[in-house]
Amino acid sequence: MTTWQYMRRLVSWQRREFIWNCLAWGAFHLIPLSNGLIVRGIFNSLSGSAAVGWNAWTFLTILACSYAARQGTFLVAFRLFSRYYLTAHAFIRRNLLGHLMLAAGSRVLPESPSEAVSRFRDDVNDVVAYAESWIDFSGFVLYGACSVAVLAWIDPMIAAVVCTPLLVMSVVMRRLSPVIRSYRRRMREATSRVTDSIGEAFAAVQAIKAAGREDSMTAHFRSLGEERRRRALADVLLTEMIRGVNSGLVNVGIGLMLTMAAGRIRSGEFSVGDLAIFIQLLPRVTNVLTFIGGDVLAQHRRVRVATERMEHLMVDAPPGKLVEHAPLDLTGPEPVFAPMAREGEWLETMRVSGLSYRYPGDGTAGVEDVSFELRRGDFVVVTGRIGSGKTTLLRVLQGLVPRAAGEIEWNGRAVEDPATFFTPPHSSYTSQAPRLFSESLRDNVMLGAGGEDELERAMDLAAMTPDVAGFEHGLDTLLGTRGVKLSGGQVQRASAARMFARGADLLIFDDLSSALDVATERQLWESLGRSREATCLVVSHRRPALLRATKILLLSEGRLIAEGTLDELLRTQPEMRRLWDAEAEEA
Amino acid sequence: MFSYFQILRQYLSPVAGRAGLLGLCLLAATGLQLYIPQIIRTFIDLAAAKGDPDRLTRLALTYLGLAVMNQLLSALATYLSADVGWAATNALRGDLFEHALRLDMRFHKDRTPGEMIERIDGDVTSVSNFFSQFVVRVSAAVLLTVGVLVLLWREEWRVGLALTIFTGVAIKLLHWRRETAIGPTRDERESSAQLFGFIEERLNGLDDIRANGAGPYVMHRYLIVQRHWYLKSLVAWWARSAIWLTMGVLFASGFVLTLGLGIALHQAGAVTLGTVYLFFNYMAMLEAPLDQITQQLQEFQKAAAGLRRVREMLEFKRDVTEGDRSMPASTDGLRVEFDNVRFSYEGSQEVLKGISFKLEPGETLGVLGRTGSGKTTLIRLLFRLYDATDGRVLMNGVDLRETRVRELRQRVGLVTQDVQLFHGSGRENLTFFDSSICEERVKQVAGSLGIDPWMDAPLTAGGAGLSGGESQLLAFARVFLKDPGLVILDEPSSRLDPATEKMLTRAVERLLENRTGIIIAHRLQTVERVDKILVLADGRIVEFGRREELARDPESRYSKLVAMSAGAQGHGIDESMERLGGE
Repeated sequence: MTTWQYMRRLVSWQRREFIWNCLAWGAFHLIPLSNGLIVRGIFNSLSGSAAVGWNAWTFLTILACSYAARQGTFLVAFRLFSRYYLTAHAFIRRNLLGHLMLAAGSRVLPESPSEAVSRFRDDVNDVVAYAESWIDFSGFVLYGACSVAVLAWIDPMIAAVVCTPLLVMSVVMRRLSPVIRSYRRRMREATSRVTDSIGEAFAAVQAIKAAGREDSMTAHFRSLGEERRRRALADVLLTEMIRGVNSGLVNVGIGLMLTMAAGRIRSGEFSVGDLAIFIQLLPRVTNVLTFIGGDVLAQHRRVRVATERMEHLMVDAPPGKLVEHAPLDLTGPEPVFAPMAREGEWLETMRVSGLSYRYPGDGTAGVEDVSFELRRGDFVVVTGRIGSGKTTLLRVLQGLVPRAAGEIEWNGRAVEDPATFFTPPHSSYTSQAPRLFSESLRDNVMLGAGGEDELERAMDLAAMTPDVAGFEHGLDTLLGTRGVKLSGGQVQRASAARMFARGADLLIFDDLSSALDVATERQLWESLGRSREATCLVVSHRRPALLRATKILLLSEGRLIAEGTLDELLRTQPEMRRLWDAEAEEA
Repeated sequence: MFSYFQILRQYLSPVAGRAGLLGLCLLAATGLQLYIPQIIRTFIDLAAAKGDPDRLTRLALTYLGLAVMNQLLSALATYLSADVGWAATNALRGDLFEHALRLDMRFHKDRTPGEMIERIDGDVTSVSNFFSQFVVRVSAAVLLTVGVLVLLWREEWRVGLALTIFTGVAIKLLHWRRETAIGPTRDERESSAQLFGFIEERLNGLDDIRANGAGPYVMHRYLIVQRHWYLKSLVAWWARSAIWLTMGVLFASGFVLTLGLGIALHQAGAVTLGTVYLFFNYMAMLEAPLDQITQQLQEFQKAAAGLRRVREMLEFKRDVTEGDRSMPASTDGLRVEFDNVRFSYEGSQEVLKGISFKLEPGETLGVLGRTGSGKTTLIRLLFRLYDATDGRVLMNGVDLRETRVRELRQRVGLVTQDVQLFHGSGRENLTFFDSSICEERVKQVAGSLGIDPWMDAPLTAGGAGLSGGESQLLAFARVFLKDPGLVILDEPSSRLDPATEKMLTRAVERLLENRTGIIIAHRLQTVERVDKILVLADGRIVEFGRREELARDPESRYSKLVAMSAGAQGHGIDESMERLGGE
């Protein structure tokens, strides 16, 4: 979609509000023009050159009314605008996040989450700021055109001489604005190098101390600061030059006006009031020209970049998704969450054939042609060395990353979109490095599903109940940055509880060993086996899991090299023996 | 207040010349701004009196010249204030950075790198705003306001009085309006931080959310967070709009008042038409500075808080004090001795409860113990990251408390499990950005470890491009580079791929040649190569001796450990330690 189409879709979404905004701000921008004319009237009537018969006091009364009208307009316009502006932000952000959370198909962020957040902040800001310019645009243009018209009506000759340099300036500004931006960007880069270096140094403070390198680190930090200072000064210098030329031109204009007016005032062709209105209006005309010539055009280009970046984040979104009309619930009663009961099909068999995954970029295979079968009640363990493709296999199976080839069948029927299919009630998942959110423990585990009983059962199963007893607020303990920080093992068990609470048929675990000790892991498998009929697909290299397995899938370099029971594999596969023995020596 | 200016003075004095020039610029620019309206007044009066046309033209040209000069002066002032501000605050940032780096680990223990960024850059930036905004702009604004009022009093006392009262009322009202907007603005910032925090957390957990079908619930929660943000922002915006509205009403009244007075005085014949215009002009000139002054009053509070934190940090003292003794040189490693060492972290339980042992030059010691047994603290004492609470740590017979910290750290090398990298080339990472280290030496060390290909490659703090084993090699190279007499190695506990492991093993062997070594071991293979074994439990030595002797004694913990770990029960050293510890 082009920027025009984006913007049209955006403003058509709250069309009425947009039009009201344009009208209110148009009025707000136009009123100063009448103020200029009234002040001119006052001076003209004082100097006795007024055309109409009003005296200065009448003009002053009108001026007071005009001022009052302007402030009243501001009050209304601002209320309209603040609602519109904030709602537009909320609208785009909702669509962006909604796509990432809800859309079908695999969803891999093409950039780090913290970079992605700046799409939500900075890029959304750019788009909405442009909508703001659209609101101001008509009022501004009208104001500029009327001002020039009024000046020309007063004295066409002087108006022409005075306004020409301003036009030239606006063209120059247009040329210069990319330069300004590049200066500013370099300044920002230098700044982030400075802050990064602080962060890095203090993350490694012990190493620096142990190495006795405080001096050289400080010297390095100072040199980065010096670089930043130079960039900041270059930026200031350029901005000042431009501003100087800009208001310099206004002053040149006024000077020219005075020079030309010198003769005419004497002859009465030009009045003191005319002088006053020229001096008042000239700087404002310049502002309008810079706005149209430089700012708006630059904004248009910036919006292009911003929408491209947001589209990139959404990867495969259909065009216009970003500005798709959707309810926001910003006001009115707070929405209540109603979990959708999803119909699932009870697992009997799952068959995977020829499943492959290739890394984006160089296209090397992460998983190559893996086929296996799984039946209800199975405990299938995926094992292999580090980097053999175990985690990738689980992720490509669930559609978390896109498959390059292969079929997945659930009870004999092909699964078209694994990403939507492999969710509760079909399956649930604990990733290798699961994330908890800054909410209560209860909320983290339930994520909107089920009731109190299920929660308790899930916590029991995940061996989390003793931990909960230790928290002051129990299940309502707030986690995360403003709450309790859980240990690695607690995080892993809480997310296992999250998986159990879904009541799904197939449980998919990625390696639990990084945070659970052997005894806890064994306990978890045992209580799981006792409490419910579960089908499990587990990545592990630990003995308790291997010993329980009804089937082991042995991976090496992304390929399935053997499958079978532990005994079979230990007999026939040297790789399996190696892993089994390594387990004995491993710390 | 006094102490703020002390800091300002300290950092401004090196740039006193430029700061003085800046003051002159500001004075001159203010003078010009005050003078220019007078020209227009003369022009109007002369024109109305149908005076000399040449003189009118001259006045117009004077106006032109002065206006351009004023522009130049104010640009120069802005540039100078940025220059002075950056020079002064960069010096302050550098000093804070160095001071903080040198502070004890006690200081760093519970401070995150993010917090340090805020302390060193954030707070200083607010100080720099204090300087460039408050000192420069506010003094310019005050100067201009006072100038305008003085000139008005001179011109016509009634107008002077009216506008002086107006200025007083305006400052009072605007300041009050701004104060009432502080709370809502803070709430707005907080709710916006919450909103983006929510998004970042959910994006981090995207897989967990999607694979567990929690997308709709997350969106529901998001809409609630967004509602909160919307309401808070709306309140804050309206509170701020009240400032603008107040200002609009104030200045409208000001203009009407000035023009009304002007009209009355003109009709009474007290002032000329040009003077009425002068009043109008001066009134317009008050708008910007009054806005500045009230706005900066708030900024000042922020800067004051920043400056207070800067001072707090500068006043933070070190516990580890500088000694003056050198350690005797030795070619075959340092002799290490712990003499009844006790240690507790500030206000908490004792971590080391009377540790005594000796290590001869060139010997290698393997330290075993569960997490929390005091292994890490033991190492920290050897570097004087902390000093022993009681007892002595000696190297080559010298009490560490009497040594020069810097010299000591040159003689002891440390390889930790986690290796932190910096944004920079491999070489810079190796030398900690010290360019004075001889290139030949860097090349030789890097070559011997096989990491010379990365010397010119850019590395990043996340360690992108380097595996765990590879960054370990870099840490080894750092130690080789300083050629210490004692090497301390915290072995990585996670499994590495066999090729890297082999490389590391070779590197360890070379590192320990002719050096005393202390290894915190997680692997049986490593322990099998050391000379002595020390088993720590709960801050005490539960076993210490030559490895061979301990191995021969079937009752020793070490031989039990070996038996357990080598058995087929699936436990490594650390796990076996856990079990032994329980017995």
